[in-house]
Amino acid sequence: MNFRFIISEISHSRGQSWIFVVCVALSLISLVAINSFRRDVNESLLSDARKLHGGDVIVHSHQPFSPTLKSELVSLETEADISVARTWEFYSVARSIGQERTVLANIKAVEDLYPLYGSIVLRSGNNFQDVLESGSAIVAPSLLARLDVAVGEQIHIGSTQFTIMDVIEGESQRPVNFFDFGPRVFVSSSDLKAMDLIHPGSRVHFEALVKVGDSVTADTIAGQLEQQAEFGRERVATYASAPSRIKRFFDNLLFFLSLISVFTMLLAGVGMQSSLAALLRHKEKTLAIIRALGASGPFLIYHYLVLVLVLSFFGCGLGLLGAYVLEQNFTVVFAGLLPDNIQLGLSAVDVVEGVLLGLCVVAFFSFFPIRSVASVRPVAVLRNEVASEQSRTTYIFFICGIVMFTGLIIRQLNDVKIGLYFVGGTFLLIALISVLVSLSLFGIRRISRGGLALRQALRSMLRPGNAAKTITVTLSSALTLLLAIGLIQNDLRSTYISSYPEDAPNLFCIDIQKTQKDGFVELLREGGELFPVIRARLLAINDEKIQRKEELKKRGDSLAREFNLTYRDTLLDDEILEEGAFLLDSRDLAPGLVPVSLLDSVAEMGDMGLGDILTFNVQGLTVKAQVVSVRSRTKSMLYPFFYFVFSEKDLGAAPQTFFAALTVPMKDIGRVENMVVEKFPNISTINVAETAKELGRIMEKLSSVITFFSMFSIVAGLLILVSSILATRFSRIQEAVFYKILGANSIFVWKVFVMENLILAVVSGMCALIVAQVASWALCAFVFDIEHRAYFLFCFLLLLSSCCIVVATGVVSSLSIIRRKPGQFLQKKSVE
Amino acid sequence: MINNVCVVLLMAVVALMGCSGEPLKADTQKKQSGKTVTSQTIVALGDSLTAGFGVDLSESYPALLEEALQKNGYTYTVVNAGVSGETSSGTLARVEWILAQNPAVVIVETGANDGLRGIPVQLIEENLREIIALLQENNVEVLLVGMKMVMNLGPVYVSQFNELYPRLAKEMDIEFMPFFLEDVATKPQLNIDDGIHPNSAGYRVIVENMYPYVLNVIDSVNS
Repeated sequence: MNFRFIISEISHSRGQSWIFVVCVALSLISLVAINSFRRDVNESLLSDARKLHGGDVIVHSHQPFSPTLKSELVSLETEADISVARTWEFYSVARSIGQERTVLANIKAVEDLYPLYGSIVLRSGNNFQDVLESGSAIVAPSLLARLDVAVGEQIHIGSTQFTIMDVIEGESQRPVNFFDFGPRVFVSSSDLKAMDLIHPGSRVHFEALVKVGDSVTADTIAGQLEQQAEFGRERVATYASAPSRIKRFFDNLLFFLSLISVFTMLLAGVGMQSSLAALLRHKEKTLAIIRALGASGPFLIYHYLVLVLVLSFFGCGLGLLGAYVLEQNFTVVFAGLLPDNIQLGLSAVDVVEGVLLGLCVVAFFSFFPIRSVASVRPVAVLRNEVASEQSRTTYIFFICGIVMFTGLIIRQLNDVKIGLYFVGGTFLLIALISVLVSLSLFGIRRISRGGLALRQALRSMLRPGNAAKTITVTLSSALTLLLAIGLIQNDLRSTYISSYPEDAPNLFCIDIQKTQKDGFVELLREGGELFPVIRARLLAINDEKIQRKEELKKRGDSLAREFNLTYRDTLLDDEILEEGAFLLDSRDLAPGLVPVSLLDSVAEMGDMGLGDILTFNVQGLTVKAQVVSVRSRTKSMLYPFFYFVFSEKDLGAAPQTFFAALTVPMKDIGRVENMVVEKFPNISTINVAETAKELGRIMEKLSSVITFFSMFSIVAGLLILVSSILATRFSRIQEAVFYKILGANSIFVWKVFVMENLILAVVSGMCALIVAQVASWALCAFVFDIEHRAYFLFCFLLLLSSCCIVVATGVVSSLSIIRRKPGQFLQKKSVE
Repeated sequence: MINNVCVVLLMAVVALMGCSGEPLKADTQKKQSGKTVTSQTIVALGDSLTAGFGVDLSESYPALLEEALQKNGYTYTVVNAGVSGETSSGTLARVEWILAQNPAVVIVETGANDGLRGIPVQLIEENLREIIALLQENNVEVLLVGMKMVMNLGPVYVSQFNELYPRLAKEMDIEFMPFFLEDVATKPQLNIDDGIHPNSAGYRVIVENMYPYVLNVIDSVNS
């Protein structure tokens, strides 16, 4: 081992060495930070999931628990670090005393330990468990308005009376039960007997919530309980597996964090690979001379490997220092962006894992640049010939590298199948980038017009040895990752976060009859939208009968159920036409067919598309409709939507009810509900204000997590990008000197440089745009199961800023060369 | 209520729905035992219990009733006009739509959703009275199917609700089946997992219980 050689190599390539060290450091900072923050956020979200479901293990049944399950719960209760809280939830008519006003209330009888997780915030600020005693009730604000009662007064439920002790301001379990027909009333389980409402023939949700200590896992307890539960009748789930309407949000968010972590790792790798490649390209002639003087390939590989290791360790040290400083100042830098219950910390495990991951990334991405050292052929280099040699060992190393890379991805994504798909997809996309870049360079080669500066810039890019393709592919790959992160972030945001705007409907009224429509509108001066609802079944698609038995077996939505059809002649504010020129165009329809517009989600469900003939059974009448348009929605969740839209002339006479979505100030909801049911007792109101508030809080938190991670990743990515551009600029800088020697002035050299960098940025950006759109569409469609949109303005702005960064970095890095006299540069080169 | 366009549509498609989802022709001619007899329509009007929520349409009670009637030589077609989630107000609003199908008999099973939403019993009674009156005005024989409310709604509401069906049947002098879910409610083996909707075995019990009442109504039609 010749240490002098290594030291000399490092000191003679200080610039590139520094950039490599910075790349390693940045990678390590991002990897350590992202992985440790991901774990912290994961913990924070799981804690939210616990609060949402109220326990580590949740047992649910529509009937009283079976004797075996009951005794298993009793025996668990006796264990030291296990707590159990049972709840009974049902609807009942609550009555005021004296005035005899009534309201259908959602009664929840709970044991003393409830809630095990989360909280019920009371208006008085007192503790829920302290307030709820036998004979007392804690009620939702709208119950007070509906029954015209106040705190301290009594209400009648079942065969007993309760004193209202407090009012619910917030309930962490609320989003799990989205639609409620009545206001919530909490009572103590000790009053169940006195209420006398639970008998055979009662409709009650029986639930047991279990909190487990550190000595045992939720999965173990769930397994124990599942063994005693009656299959199909009693459901056992853990907080992580329990189905809820927002579980998919959590799952998608956690996957997004993993994805960010992988993308950051790839970005870091791209940075290392490009800076090392540039360093070695710069050394090509030196290497050729050393080889000519008798050094063997393994000698060079061995020494450069040590060189890379030394630089990597420097990078690791710097990275760890950076990660520590960042972690220390994290809450200050990102104040307001992080969830309030997140506990940040940089543990020894994070550090060791980060260093190991960083070194693996270094090893994988440094392999090819270092491998190229051995294949340097002195004659070819000194004659400026293109040498290419791929030995068998290269392929073996390449395969080993792929295996290691796949392992890293699987480790980061925590999912073997998705990890394998991801690796496959990554290679496909890199191949696509290479093809696109080759095509672009082929196109550039054909350009012969333009000024001298442009022509020189183009030739400079295409000059042999410039490695324009490699640099463009590298830059495109990095930009693809950045764009993909941004695009997926936007998709997640528009699917989940933007679905909860402040003006989202918070009160739904159902069963409004056609004859009541005008009276209802007149009564409610608050406004809101009314939607006609016609119940129907889909019988066939293109005369092929719906296979109902098969459809019923499907999880989630199915074509076998009754659908709500509607009629209108225009798109809603939150709808866009995906296919078809108009919403409902009947011009080219065959006689006997009526036009129908589909929502894209139902179109996917039944593989339906434009021109398909759908046969409906509208309460006895068979209606054949042809699909003339496919719609998509820009909002979701709280906004009503309809799969099938007809025109009023075709469906206006069918039996129908109306559905109203209203946005009412929180304080007025009880009054509005009273007003509606007093005038139209058949109309049911569904108050989702409290649910919307709780969901809004969670969404706000998710939003901050998404923003933070995307921002962090994009900033880290741009820094790595800058480093790699700086690295590659060194190998191309001598162009300026030659221009000057040939008599060009500084302005001409500037022009050439700006144009060259601009072409590089535009070509890379355009290729990245295409590939990023494909990649994010694939991820949204197959992994996140959310809608993907192109976000052209966002892409344009990100590309514009990337172009500016590429041009600015390229030009700034050349500044000293342009200003320097050619002689000085040539003297320096000849010394080297 | 039905505008011209829909009447034209109705005539044009000439297809009234059957319980299996097949288009059916009203008053079709069927040959049985060498004689030509006229097939008549029974409309099963109701909510999810009639629609067959959670089971295949062929396992819902209208389909099974049609099967039982035809097996015993009654040439009746039973139309499933159940709408899940519907209250008695919704049912009332579509009686004219149902009458357009020229039913000989209508089996009225509605009100359960009203009860589950705590809608005042008086309103349910008014709606049911109007539904029956409209059918009777159009010479349709009515079988009223009674419902009992879940106990958790409270003793006052439950007793008011449970009393309304027999009272109304007596008042309107119509055939009355006291409880749709007789022998089925509260039996897990006869219900789907939600505990309130019957499974296919549950629907077989319901049809067995309902059959004698349906025969009584058919006798009234024939007389």
